[in-house]
Amino acid sequence: MPFKRYVEIGRVALVNYGKEYGRLVVIVDVIDQNRALIDAPDMVRSQMNFKRLSLTDIKIEINRVPKKKALIEAMEKADVKNKWEKSSWGRRLIVQQRRAALNDFDRFKLMLAKIKRGGLIRQELAKLKKENAA
Amino acid sequence: MKTILSSETMDIPDGVKIKINARVIEVEGPRGKLSRDFKHLNLDFQLIKDEEGKKKLKIDAWFATRKTSAAIRTALSHVENLITGVTKGYRYKMRFVYAHFPINASITNSNTAIEIRNFLGEKKITAMQFFDRLSVPCFEVCCAKCMDSSVLFQISSVSYDTCYMQVRKVDMLDGVTILRSEKVKDELVLDGNDIELVSRSAALINQKCHVKNKDIRKFLDGIYVSEKGTVVVEE
Repeated sequence: MPFKRYVEIGRVALVNYGKEYGRLVVIVDVIDQNRALIDAPDMVRSQMNFKRLSLTDIKIEINRVPKKKALIEAMEKADVKNKWEKSSWGRRLIVQQRRAALNDFDRFKLMLAKIKRGGLIRQELAKLKKENAA
Repeated sequence: MKTILSSETMDIPDGVKIKINARVIEVEGPRGKLSRDFKHLNLDFQLIKDEEGKKKLKIDAWFATRKTSAAIRTALSHVENLITGVTKGYRYKMRFVYAHFPINASITNSNTAIEIRNFLGEKKITAMQFFDRLSVPCFEVCCAKCMDSSVLFQISSVSYDTCYMQVRKVDMLDGVTILRSEKVKDELVLDGNDIELVSRSAALINQKCHVKNKDIRKFLDGIYVSEKGTVVVEE
């Protein structure tokens, strides 16, 4: 019930609205009750409203408003990219992006693969049912 | 201005089990179980264990206005009352005060209701008056006071003074018992676990004995709360 992800310096967040939609950023300073100063390795440091951010479980060790070099070093040290891609939230996002980028031929291949997988599952189920009935 | 975080904690004594789920608090102790619902407050209730393993109740308010921060301490006080209710119970004592007409009270219904008579000498007769030795077989009459036919009585022969007298009846609320204390003249003792119910029952009795149309500085009759304490008194 209590909160587990706090807004703090070093909290990694996902932008969920606006021009930077889908980007992972780090909160480097808190401006006031509603806004934070955020930064990412390939982005100009800028301010963003908390309502546009979704906090993640990842936190890195940095001082308030670090230089770009220090930020990149800290992110490498904490291995943010790998942690994100291994987390279930990150994996889900990657799958969604792949699905959105399919072309028609890919979708056809996907359909065949799903049918084949369904067939294998039904075969195994039939075997188990037979064992159970016997 | 909104305060980012305001919180307060409170100790929970051993011997009391507290369960919190969705702002509904249930307290269980040697005298029974009480539960209270704080869904009208926007606060976070948590049970935490601090260093040295003592159990505490912590209440948080995030971005709270002045009134919400004030509600934190009142919620803690309500929980404290629940805990003492369930461990020590509440005992409110009331005294009869009268100048000339003794207040006549009888406790009915296995200690859960009280009937008050002769307050300020009242003898209001509120049903129809009958003359002496009127014999009317199977005459159904409805009580003129309450005008409902659930109080029908059959009268065959009625004499003047078996008419309905002014009786003030007060039902105690759930879980509250009332008794006349021995050894002390004209005292009532109300016992219960929930402070809200016990104090409200005391207030109901007090309100039933208000004096009307008189100077209340002179006519001081009534039943007043004299002591608010607990059932189990520690020395």
